[in-house]
Amino acid sequence: MPHTSSSSASRPHSAVVLAAGEGVRLRPLTANRAKPMLPAGTRPILEHVLNALIDAGVNDIHLVVGYQANRVRSHFGPTYRDVPITYHTQDSQLGSGHALLQARDGPDGSFLLVNGDQIIDHRIVESVGDAHETAGTLAVVEGPEAVDYGAVHLDGDEVIELIEQPASGDFRLFNAGVYAFTQQIFETLDTLSVERGELPLTAAIQQLIGDRYDIRAVRTDHFWMDATHPWDLLSLSRELLTRGWVDAPAIGSDIYVDDAAHVHPEATLVGPVVVDSDAVIEAGAVVGPYAAIGASSTIGSGSVLRDVVIDTDTTIGPNTTAIELVAGQGCVIGAGLTAGGGPADVVLDDQVYSDVDLGGVIADRVDVGGGATLEQGALIGPEATVGTGVVVRGRIDAGSEVVR
Amino acid sequence: MCGIVGCIGRGDHTVDVLMDGLRSLEYRGYDSAGIALGPSMDVLRKSGELDALAEVVDANGPTGTYGIGHTRWSTHGPPNDRNAHPHTNETGRVAVVHNGIIENYAELKADLQATGVTFTSDTDTEVVPHLIAQALDAGADPESAFHNTVDRLEGSYAIAAIIEGSETVYAARQGSPLVVGVGDGCTYLASDVPAFVEQTRDVVFLKDGHRVIATTDGYTVLDEDREPVDVEIETVSYTAEATGKSGYDHYMLKEIHEQPTALRQCFSGRSDALEGTVTLEEIDEIPQPNAVQFVACGTSYHAALYGAAILREMGIPAEAYLASEYALSPPPVSLGTLVVGITQSGETADTLAALRDAKSRGVSTLALTNTVNSTAARECDHAVYIRAGPEIGVAATKTFSSQLVGCNLLAEELVDGPRDLRPLIESLRNLPDDVQSILDASAAEELVEEYADSEAYFFIGRGTNVAVALEGALKCKEISYEHAEGFPAGELKHGPLALVTPETPVFAVVTGDDERARKTLGNIKEVQARGAPVIAVTDGESDAAEIADETLMIPETEERAAPVLANVQLQLFSYYLADALGRPIDKPRNLAKSVTVE
Repeated sequence: MPHTSSSSASRPHSAVVLAAGEGVRLRPLTANRAKPMLPAGTRPILEHVLNALIDAGVNDIHLVVGYQANRVRSHFGPTYRDVPITYHTQDSQLGSGHALLQARDGPDGSFLLVNGDQIIDHRIVESVGDAHETAGTLAVVEGPEAVDYGAVHLDGDEVIELIEQPASGDFRLFNAGVYAFTQQIFETLDTLSVERGELPLTAAIQQLIGDRYDIRAVRTDHFWMDATHPWDLLSLSRELLTRGWVDAPAIGSDIYVDDAAHVHPEATLVGPVVVDSDAVIEAGAVVGPYAAIGASSTIGSGSVLRDVVIDTDTTIGPNTTAIELVAGQGCVIGAGLTAGGGPADVVLDDQVYSDVDLGGVIADRVDVGGGATLEQGALIGPEATVGTGVVVRGRIDAGSEVVR
Repeated sequence: MCGIVGCIGRGDHTVDVLMDGLRSLEYRGYDSAGIALGPSMDVLRKSGELDALAEVVDANGPTGTYGIGHTRWSTHGPPNDRNAHPHTNETGRVAVVHNGIIENYAELKADLQATGVTFTSDTDTEVVPHLIAQALDAGADPESAFHNTVDRLEGSYAIAAIIEGSETVYAARQGSPLVVGVGDGCTYLASDVPAFVEQTRDVVFLKDGHRVIATTDGYTVLDEDREPVDVEIETVSYTAEATGKSGYDHYMLKEIHEQPTALRQCFSGRSDALEGTVTLEEIDEIPQPNAVQFVACGTSYHAALYGAAILREMGIPAEAYLASEYALSPPPVSLGTLVVGITQSGETADTLAALRDAKSRGVSTLALTNTVNSTAARECDHAVYIRAGPEIGVAATKTFSSQLVGCNLLAEELVDGPRDLRPLIESLRNLPDDVQSILDASAAEELVEEYADSEAYFFIGRGTNVAVALEGALKCKEISYEHAEGFPAGELKHGPLALVTPETPVFAVVTGDDERARKTLGNIKEVQARGAPVIAVTDGESDAAEIADETLMIPETEERAAPVLANVQLQLFSYYLADALGRPIDKPRNLAKSVTVE
């Protein structure tokens, strides 16, 4: 995927990336790793975020880590694509402003700030960096998502107010979470305190505006995408596959296969599809469209998979049918699983989400016996065991064993 | 065992370049360090870690436009300021750094003392500056004085020297590693590439007998007869990676957590799970050996024990030898014997000596190493890389895991005959996630709270798990300084059982449910009868978890893969034990990462 790298002299070359939060709405997938490490295609979301920064000319990355920090550290190590990474630890997750404060000894001068769990086109980063002249600059996107991400009230390109939870659909511009700041943001954060367990970054921006600092907005219509719920990983992967943002060579139109993957000559790949290193696709399997098969995973013979995200080290037994399925790392799925796909009504944290297209979510290291069936919208917690022939409905807790 | 650096052509940056170089060579030793600079002939040296020298450097502000440096791991003489390098002659007109051992130093020293020279250190190195000075006094020019001196040395050495009045860095290699970095208008010398990789990636790998004369005009490589030799400049692909701790408290913990990635890299592209075959392209053409002799030291020796065990199971006579013993009492070889040296760094002097001995007897040699272009890789007939990535922590962790996978790949490639390798490939392919699951949920840290004040720690296992028991004990003693021993479980009753008391926890590595596992259960009861608490490291297939007092669980897998997983639990226990005891985990006392002296 590496895009053409561009840089400009005035654009900040340091970036802070917030990757400390768990992303609780993505449970049960976040049992062992934070949301930035969940798969977007075959690579962690955070890898795409760092790619965007580096493609925008960033050469100094500061990662704020917290929840399951070791997963981030061991994945990226001290450098990524030859760019040094400095890690800052947020011991308790007290909001985005508090997270940023952990990196105050990091960048010198102006710096970029992005969320580690949202996928962004590198051109958004470039335009924010290029426009950065005042105390703060942020990217705004037009769309109905303002309710979820906070609306931005502008006068020209001057930010008047950030509205956390806009009451109505009046606001069309929302905050994309891509910023550039001077060191003033740290000074302002220092004057604020954690209230009700949280110090959000937006409070500091609001304070900057109140203190008559000039905060500017850059409108962008480049690609920006977030996964809020487990099933959003399917649409995220779909978007990335469509754009070819995958880290494997193309062997045909929309078909990306790593050199170290093994695809049986009698298997069929239907693009868009990506197969990562050391993955195995056995004879007769039909994989795709919209399938992301992670490193060292196996798709058994005769299986039919479309609209799936299969993370690393997972084995799918022969003759499985899986549509709209998310499977985590290290799962063992027996022969003949059926996950026929949505739509479903999914209950998550006492909230009902209607008409979700979801065949099922299987968290890390789940063991599923042969011939099991997932009713649409099924959620299986990590390290659960599902017996042979079981029909799974609704939710199965972490570590539990379901025999029938 | 030491690290040396040198540079010329960097003007005012010389001190910084030398200090940065030494910092990246600290893995080779950290008992003392020093630098010497020309033309000032300023010499600064200090016992202790490099930071101690850095303080002295900051305080004294030495000047120079070329120089040499050294970080020491003591062989001759205790680690103090007096024995720190660089060493000089009496007047300070010659300064020398040296890695290796000068075997005839006693004789040379006696000769020098007979002429009235006073020695100020206990080192073998100090003969070198005195010999150079003596040659200069006799009228030789600096270059001839250096050559005349090197001609008289016996043993293994990499040497760098500066001489007053000569704007030159002189160097020689014989048996210890030395590489030249070729910069733009400048030249670097070092024991290992990372010392100057941030300055240049163009490298000349010197051979034994080579000498280097580096000036501001460039460098010349000469042979023992002082004739210029043509050398090849290679561009190394090292990135400056490897140096950071990624926010971990210790390199060791970082490297333990890097094992899923390391194992993935080691295995990637080397098998075909569809066909059930393993391919090591590097050694595709090697015929099946009649016998395999492994030579290795320390942790690598434990990997060798494992490798020999799996080859024997496949019907190939195979033995693991301690490299330091092998060259002195070499076992018989025949045509068709393959000698495999396992060495993380590829520079381990004992292992190199054993491989050279094997080669001199006409048998084929193979290096299983982590370091591309290392001496072992270059000298052996074949090299297989374990691709674990750089390992900085002195206690080997991820490279051991990758060595075990490397042994499996090696064995499957070497031994002919149709076999269905799919179950093995599946288990090796699953190792990254299996290791990750241990890292996500290990109980080792909690166990430390219970057992941190024990008198001793014992580790037992059978079959390939003997290697795990020995490695578990070695890791424990290396970094925690606590008494720890590993035994084949059946040997306990033949002696070591006398050491077992209620104050000595016993770690029993029990995987699978075969006869070895069942017999180990008997050994668990044996030690429990003496009151010792037993921690079972087990996959739950046998009754070990039920019998033992505590368990460290590992996922179920194939027999060959289980030792990798069991070892990860023991790594974590040793790490947290050493951490609880406040030990300097990345730099345990008296040890060095790769030992380049015999």
